[in-house]
Amino acid sequence: MKPPICSRPISTPMSRRNFLCGLGASIGSIAMTDLFAADYVLPKPGPLAPKDQMFPSKAKRVIMLFMEGGPGHMDTFDPKPELQRLHKSESSLTKESDPFKFFVGSPFQSRKVGQSGIEMSDQWKYLADPEVADELCNYRGCQAESVNHPEALFHMNTGSRLGADPSFGAWTTYGLGSVNQNLPGYVVMTELAMPQGGSRNWSNGFLPAHHQGTRLRSAGSPILDLKSQPNKVRGHQRRTIDELAFLNDIHAKKHPEHADLDARMESYELAYRMQMEVPEIIDLSREPEYIREMYGLEDKETEAFGCQCLMGRRLLEQGVRFVQIFSGGWDSHDYLEEGHSSRIRSVDKPMAGLIKDLKQRGMLEDTLVIWTGEFGRTADNNKRGGVFSLGRDHNPNAMTMLLAGGGVKKGAIVGATDELGNSAVDVVHPIRDLHVTLLHLLGLDDNKLTYFHAGRYKQLSQFGGQVVTELLA
Amino acid sequence: MNFLFFRGAFTRRNRRVLWQRKTLIVRMDLTYTNTLIKILTERLPFVALACSFLILTESANAAHHDQAEIERLFTLKILPLMSQKCFGCHGDDPEEIEGGLIMHTLDDLLLGGDGFGDVLVPGDAEASFMFKAIKREDPDYEMPPKENDRLTVAQITDFETWIDAGAPWPSEERQAEVRLAEKGVLENEDGILWKTSGGQGDEWTYRRYAKEDLWAFRPVRKPEFPNKENVIDHFVRAKLEAVGFKPSPKADALTRIRRATFDLTGLPPTPEEVRAFVAADRKDPDRAWSVLIDRLLASDRYGERWGQHWLDVARYADTAGMSNDYEKSNAWRYRDYVIRAFNDDKPYDQFILEQLAGDEMASQLVAERLSGKEANIEIVHKIGAYTEDEIELMVATSFLRMGSFDTAMVPNNERRQIFLDDVVNSVGQTFLATNMRCLKCHDHKFDPLPTKDYYRMYATFAATQLAERPVEFSEQENMIGMEEGKAIVERLHTYAADRMNALYEKRETAARAWFEERGLEYINHADRKSLDDDVKPPRDIGLDYVGEGRLKVREQDDWIWNRRRERYEPMIQGVYNGTDFLAMNARKLRMREDNPEVNMDTHILMGGSVSAPADKVSPGVLSALGLAVNENAEDPYVISKDFDGRRLTFAKWVAHPQNQLTTRSIANRLWQHHFGKPIAGNPNNFGAKGGKPTHPKVLDYLASELVEGGWKLKRLHKMIMMSDTYQQGNSHPKLEKLLEVDPNNYLLAVYEPRRLTAEELRDGMLAITGELNNEMGGLPIMPEINTEVALQPRMIQFSIAPAYQPSKTPDQRNRRSIYAYRVRGQADPFLELFNQPNPNDSCEMRDSVSVSPQAFTLMNSDVVTDRSIAFALRLEKESNRLKSQITKAFELALGRKPDRKEMNRMFEYIEDMRVYHQRFEVEPVEYPTAIIRSLVEEFSGKPFEYNEIMPVFEDYIPDKKAADVSPETRALADLCLVLFNSHEFVYVY
Repeated sequence: MKPPICSRPISTPMSRRNFLCGLGASIGSIAMTDLFAADYVLPKPGPLAPKDQMFPSKAKRVIMLFMEGGPGHMDTFDPKPELQRLHKSESSLTKESDPFKFFVGSPFQSRKVGQSGIEMSDQWKYLADPEVADELCNYRGCQAESVNHPEALFHMNTGSRLGADPSFGAWTTYGLGSVNQNLPGYVVMTELAMPQGGSRNWSNGFLPAHHQGTRLRSAGSPILDLKSQPNKVRGHQRRTIDELAFLNDIHAKKHPEHADLDARMESYELAYRMQMEVPEIIDLSREPEYIREMYGLEDKETEAFGCQCLMGRRLLEQGVRFVQIFSGGWDSHDYLEEGHSSRIRSVDKPMAGLIKDLKQRGMLEDTLVIWTGEFGRTADNNKRGGVFSLGRDHNPNAMTMLLAGGGVKKGAIVGATDELGNSAVDVVHPIRDLHVTLLHLLGLDDNKLTYFHAGRYKQLSQFGGQVVTELLA
Repeated sequence: MNFLFFRGAFTRRNRRVLWQRKTLIVRMDLTYTNTLIKILTERLPFVALACSFLILTESANAAHHDQAEIERLFTLKILPLMSQKCFGCHGDDPEEIEGGLIMHTLDDLLLGGDGFGDVLVPGDAEASFMFKAIKREDPDYEMPPKENDRLTVAQITDFETWIDAGAPWPSEERQAEVRLAEKGVLENEDGILWKTSGGQGDEWTYRRYAKEDLWAFRPVRKPEFPNKENVIDHFVRAKLEAVGFKPSPKADALTRIRRATFDLTGLPPTPEEVRAFVAADRKDPDRAWSVLIDRLLASDRYGERWGQHWLDVARYADTAGMSNDYEKSNAWRYRDYVIRAFNDDKPYDQFILEQLAGDEMASQLVAERLSGKEANIEIVHKIGAYTEDEIELMVATSFLRMGSFDTAMVPNNERRQIFLDDVVNSVGQTFLATNMRCLKCHDHKFDPLPTKDYYRMYATFAATQLAERPVEFSEQENMIGMEEGKAIVERLHTYAADRMNALYEKRETAARAWFEERGLEYINHADRKSLDDDVKPPRDIGLDYVGEGRLKVREQDDWIWNRRRERYEPMIQGVYNGTDFLAMNARKLRMREDNPEVNMDTHILMGGSVSAPADKVSPGVLSALGLAVNENAEDPYVISKDFDGRRLTFAKWVAHPQNQLTTRSIANRLWQHHFGKPIAGNPNNFGAKGGKPTHPKVLDYLASELVEGGWKLKRLHKMIMMSDTYQQGNSHPKLEKLLEVDPNNYLLAVYEPRRLTAEELRDGMLAITGELNNEMGGLPIMPEINTEVALQPRMIQFSIAPAYQPSKTPDQRNRRSIYAYRVRGQADPFLELFNQPNPNDSCEMRDSVSVSPQAFTLMNSDVVTDRSIAFALRLEKESNRLKSQITKAFELALGRKPDRKEMNRMFEYIEDMRVYHQRFEVEPVEYPTAIIRSLVEEFSGKPFEYNEIMPVFEDYIPDKKAADVSPETRALADLCLVLFNSHEFVYVY
């Protein structure tokens, strides 16, 4: 079953919380007069203070678009004409308990686009625009390990299949800090339903809690309890914090030895500032019409992901270090044509809009854009209920991803899968090498970006890896 | 030509030198000799002889001392280092030789690489290119190339010594002699040898450890101490005085009662308890303190607090996690077992045996009481008709089932490996303070733990099979809420089943018509699955995509609720001994009666891979402890291969009074939760890379006292808490200087404040507001959690998990957090935010960092707001004067009265807020009794909606909300909220 779009209560509406779809509804309710009632306090250098790169490198920030479920590489960016020829003929590629397996040709045609001639299925309309396509680098050599969604998601996100380690985003803010101290350094957006494995995918693991991804919820309150109770206006909130500060000051004077007290009081002030900043950032009504159009905000099909991409850009612009957006529904075991085409349509325009927008703002060159799933899909499938199921199973041996901006090769295809797309065959690397490469692009050395935990210095790649130099510009 | 000739000359000269130096001498530091012989005779008798021989030869061969030393240096240091850091690119792989340089032999080295010859100039390190490279003087030629592989200063000096001494390269035989001789030296400048069952190669077996890294593997030795003072204080003071400090003065009575009460019960003391203690303390401080500790240890709240510490390590949850997050409907019976064990002060050795092998112990009891009558025994196990004692034993083994587990799509052998890896590591971390993952794929890199011992322990559990087993409820178990819960589950099941059946019927009606039209006989859905496409109707005939989607959702809900009926069945998360079987679905695990014939041998798995089995191993224990399972056996660390008794034998080894890891581990954990930090820094890892003990003597003292006192934990608590070290204040007269010398307070010159844990915060607030219901045990309770999280869709495989519905009445909800339903895929956001650990991994120590989302939750959330209103209502009930309400609020929340400044300020605050709240109307809260879910239908990619009901809300009794109370109450609640947010409430001093 696919991820949900929305949940709303019936019979008796919830009066305190707004369960309408979309973000607009949850934001407008904070009165502007309240928003500007605050006096800004200059933040002290905290645990997320910006840090220098270990060596000069172009990428300064990341936006990672995670296609949960595993997009089929042959149906997106890695066409396999041979599969089309073998369509519905018997396959012995993946021998399992199933008695009969057959090849599944992609329902889509492919074409070369842009000056660079990188390949895309015909479902990609906006990404095919040369202005966008020639910025992309399609990597076909990465291999995952697990065939299960949560483990594979954990692996791609945290470098470990166990789901207890820090995520790539957490390592990034651990290595580079974040520019804006009024916002979290690592922001995550999901559909209303969380991806499988939930918040372990953006966990700080054993790193200090500040590096945990803060999830901006796609409906209702963007951060849990960000808003005060409905009968408490901003002035009331200020007064609460002032009274708290009064008691805490007296207490702190009695306990000069207790170093945590200042930081804890500061966390209240930061919370107060975030109450102002977060609603402003997620208020997309301030964006001009042509920008909203670029991201597909006016179309129902692209609105959700478009909002998130646009919000992602706004967050990056405000100095957030790492933005991650999850889009679900790519797990097409059947009805591949309907499933993938609708998924592609929902992300195509927003992605193209994001890249163009970053480019026109001069941000693309120092922003690393990543589009990936947790694994690829198989060239064949089994029958379901006796019927040819035109879909694909999970395939950890071959997958496809897009990289752009931030020191990545432009308009390039790197690596290759075999002629059926069953396995990567050229520039083949495990996920740990991808992680090492992504850190490298950010000016971070995986071997030095370590944290002592449970008896050893741990790192994103677990045991080290190599940079996939073919991906670098 | 010239170049080649030159090289040849060198080679010959060195060969000659080498042959002359063939002697058998090992340098020994004579100062160690006596101790060494003693230790050697005790631990490594087989080498003692060789050793004395070596010592004798020392003086006789003094003349050759230098040459022998250089050969030894080469064999033991230079060659292994080159092998490790150079050969990879310079010899091992003939296909890939970097720079044309091979380093495998002296000849190769002297030959040099492509275009450079002076790689090695024997007798002249400075002239040798390799020496320059390892010193990294020329940025273009730094070796080894990776910065991480950089040689240490000592290693570079070794190279210099070797080259300057003429770079001798002893023959293989000579190297072997040197190495053999060294194996007889228990201790040399590189460290000491440690005896184990042996690694995958001699290099590991005979490697050396820094003495201090092996502290945990040495037997526990009760330290000597003078009888005149508290032993703990004696050792803590000794360390402090060594750096010129005295401990802090004793903390005041309020601080101490608050500290002790939170530490032992996880709750704040009541104002009455504070008053009584302060008065008693004035009269007879020692007696008052002792009485206080006894009272707290006797309280049922103690088991709830300390049981939680244990569950953190054991990874307790009510669901199995992963894609499906299946409910473990009876896991709570284990949770209650743990709480009872702490409250009853069950001896810790017994606690170990029961959790690791309770089922085997119960089987023995059953067999005894039925005098071995097979048929009767079988019936008992089949229907779960155990005695009270047997039930306790059976429930305890749920420990082995605490890991996150799902079998979806995993091949059989890997699934089995996932369970065994999990249980081996969990047992290692929990009881033996050993991270077993580190020796799964290879011999341990730092500790004397060979991979063989990993697979011996793995084999110990190899016959342990998972099953939900029938075990009757015991008299001690709380059956509260069974009937009411069952009714709700039935209601939800019927709702799903009715809708599923209707959709099924709709499809089958269409199918019948399809068959009829073709004049064919109707074939039901299950039977026609395997037929060809042209002789049966389309798969979902009669249903559109909405129908298809809904049918799938209802089918999921049907089995989810059907399975949740098990909540009310007398079953446990159990294990039994048997052979592996192929088909396994984590949805439903049952005991198999037909133990199929399967090869149950365990092999060492190379690189941890099931596809690379190597040597066969027997069940066994960790050899590095030197603690035999069977003294007389050929291999004393091996356990019999019988299925039954295998785990019990292992458990007895773990619970052996001389098991140094076990006794130190629990003593360390006890200390940790009294002082906020353990004596040895990593309670789940005592190895070389874990934190070293700050007070090893205290740790060994406690470990010995534990065993001497019959493994009773309460006695140990009291021992720790009676010390001055525990009772001291937070501030030191020489604070600044102290911070310089000991910034992390390892020496314990002050008592460090700690933040309340997630559960203490929630339970503490409930206690203060008077809402806390102290009912113990039973089915998990459902507190109110953040509404958005409760209702947000949560993906499980194929569907959305049912919404979280809180328990119906405040009394049911407002029980202690340890009884709350713990879902791996859906944490209570409040508890998670305050660092309740993720139950996927054993948590040795919780985090307690302050982050802004905590501020949001404590200031704005419904749950804390509800507590502040309940608190205000309590205050109003107890007094109608604002000033006394304020006083009472401070007393309840902080244990003290406000001073005048605070009183005046809070008085004014509440008056202002009264005015404010007069102006603001509050809307009442209503709860939805149903929710519309949206999903994307898998095959069509189109969204569809379906209804989910939440019957709990039909006659729900909410907590009092803002709209239910007066503006005055809301104003008073504002003060209550501020108190719940204050440092003074949130920290224990």
